[in-house]
Amino acid sequence: MRDAYDVIVIGAGHNGLTLGSYLARSGLDVLVLERRHEEGGGLCTEEVTQPGFLHNIHANYHTFVDLAPPVTDLEVRSHGVEYVRPEVQMASIFEDGTALTVHSDLDKTKESMARFSEKDAETFGRLYSEAHGYIDLLLGTLMYQPPMSVKELTKALAAFGVEDRSEFLSVKLRRESINEFLDQHFENDKIKAHLAFHGAICAYTNDVPGLAIGYPLLVGKIDNWHICIGGSHRLAHALWRDLAQHGGTLVTNAAVSRILVDSGRAVGVRLDDGTEIAARKAVASTVSAEQTFLEFVDAQTVGEEFSTKVKTEVKHKDWTLFSVHLALDRLPQYEAAAFDPDVNRAWVINLGYDSTRVLDADWATIRQGLLPDPRPNAAVNSLYDPTDAPDGFYTGLLRQFAPFSFADGGEGAWEGAGRWYGQRCIEAWQRFAPNLEGGIVDWAVDTPLDITRKLVNMPHGDWMMGEISLDNMLDQRPLPELGEYRTPVEGLYMAGSTQHPHGYITFGPGYNALQVMADDLGIEKWWSQI
Amino acid sequence: MSDIYTDDWYKSVRETINEHVAGLPAKAVPQGEWHAVVEIVGDGASPYVGADDVRRFLIKIENGSCAWYREIDTPNPEVTLDYRFVGPATTFDEIAAGMRDPVDAALDGTVKVRGDMRFLMRQAELVKVLLEAYTTNVETDWPMGKPPYSGAGAG
Repeated sequence: MRDAYDVIVIGAGHNGLTLGSYLARSGLDVLVLERRHEEGGGLCTEEVTQPGFLHNIHANYHTFVDLAPPVTDLEVRSHGVEYVRPEVQMASIFEDGTALTVHSDLDKTKESMARFSEKDAETFGRLYSEAHGYIDLLLGTLMYQPPMSVKELTKALAAFGVEDRSEFLSVKLRRESINEFLDQHFENDKIKAHLAFHGAICAYTNDVPGLAIGYPLLVGKIDNWHICIGGSHRLAHALWRDLAQHGGTLVTNAAVSRILVDSGRAVGVRLDDGTEIAARKAVASTVSAEQTFLEFVDAQTVGEEFSTKVKTEVKHKDWTLFSVHLALDRLPQYEAAAFDPDVNRAWVINLGYDSTRVLDADWATIRQGLLPDPRPNAAVNSLYDPTDAPDGFYTGLLRQFAPFSFADGGEGAWEGAGRWYGQRCIEAWQRFAPNLEGGIVDWAVDTPLDITRKLVNMPHGDWMMGEISLDNMLDQRPLPELGEYRTPVEGLYMAGSTQHPHGYITFGPGYNALQVMADDLGIEKWWSQI
Repeated sequence: MSDIYTDDWYKSVRETINEHVAGLPAKAVPQGEWHAVVEIVGDGASPYVGADDVRRFLIKIENGSCAWYREIDTPNPEVTLDYRFVGPATTFDEIAAGMRDPVDAALDGTVKVRGDMRFLMRQAELVKVLLEAYTTNVETDWPMGKPPYSGAGAG
């Protein structure tokens, strides 16, 4: 590590590495700093149960493969990343033993839905086809560009007369919840439950007003869920390789304690050990707004008013995820396979949400700081990635919607509750797949508190690094002053998942910050060849 | 009237579009220069583009008006492109014939649009005026027949 670089990127999650790679490929001298012992941020794969069982501790679902420009631009496949797109992408198993499956083949999905409602199956087919038609436009407008305002978007939709041309897109979606959208277009409770569940695991909570505006995009990629073979961390390795091959430097175990500001301009960083490194052109932070503006710079530098806004107005999700990682000696055999054999091949499975009402009731419970009766979703990656477990064994993941902080005991109460709740989640799974009794070799929990402890840029267990709501979207995310990736400090940019579009492996925040930095720094945008 | 995709036809298109732009309030017309390529891909149904051919037209937009256009034989011309529109020949023929709405063609993914979508969305009113001018005000001759075509591959 030298004492000066053109650009310093704070945080080596996928956004930091993406931004660093593009800048390095542009000929800039780039340093990426990571406080943890390894790159990747949420792309962490660890043997938390037994040796040889590769558990994706955080990011598991890669839904923007071949949709996000960096996948191609940074040649991640040539750096060793291999994705598989499961044939049976997702399923819901209901309390009455029936099941619905979502396939990579639309016709098969429609066949599954038609067993519950032929009308809904046809509606879904039209929704999928419509959304798939304009997914490039949506991605280009809503994901991989610095954001527009909701007002601008709705004005454009009106000007193009989209409401008259589309069965599903409408200006009024900005006031509607996903529940309302589903109620308008679908009739069957179970189909609606599955579609709402799909929104929820994408962090689009189905009862939040305004989130219907993003729902067509979610449907457009409902069959684009991929597993990163060998664990999600492989992607982090690939991005690091790309950075290194183009002259960039990654330093791990290098926690930033200060962003150095001179005459209102970011000029470098100081590490925990006192080392100071200069940034000739820019500093980009991919960690949380709170860390960046409350820990790394003084309130006087950004102004007391802005500092207070960061403290009080940055919004976080009001629910988080509780995870159980399992080493298995057998694959789950679901009783619902008698109804639909494909559930045994489904990658991500909703266990027990039969209607949006049950889902809504759980959100209400969670928002009160209480634990709902477990209805986890289960994902056995080994079904499609046999490299993630020893021969004859399998890796499993249960994810349960949960509060970060308990009404009684705060977040600290997770210390005592983790194993107990993990056991309950396992029992909930075994209720649908009784053959798992005796088939669990080992298991480990990852509580919401663990999320925040491990990934300190995810306060409140907020795996999306910011609430997904209409007033925390687009150019309002995470605050209007930061919505365009620039900050009150000249030369300091925000490029992590606090920013538009949001968390998940979208590459979007890093890619979009790049556009703004390129404009400001006079970098030729080689990546946007039309 | 001019035969479709001939120089005279493009001249008519350009004049029609520019007349409409000239009638717009100045604030509705963005200032600057943009280059776009329209790629008309032969689909076996349109008689105006060979089944395995692609006809490409490079267009320069200057302050909202079409400054010039020319047919090119490479997908990557010397200029830096701001937009690329790609679609089957039949779809472009149908748009020119006023039988198909270009916004619909983009929304259903038949015509792919690459470039700064944010700018296009922000200029939605202007884009709409230009498309309307193109689809309704240019008189066209169809020497080899007019869509709808009966062949396969029609977009």
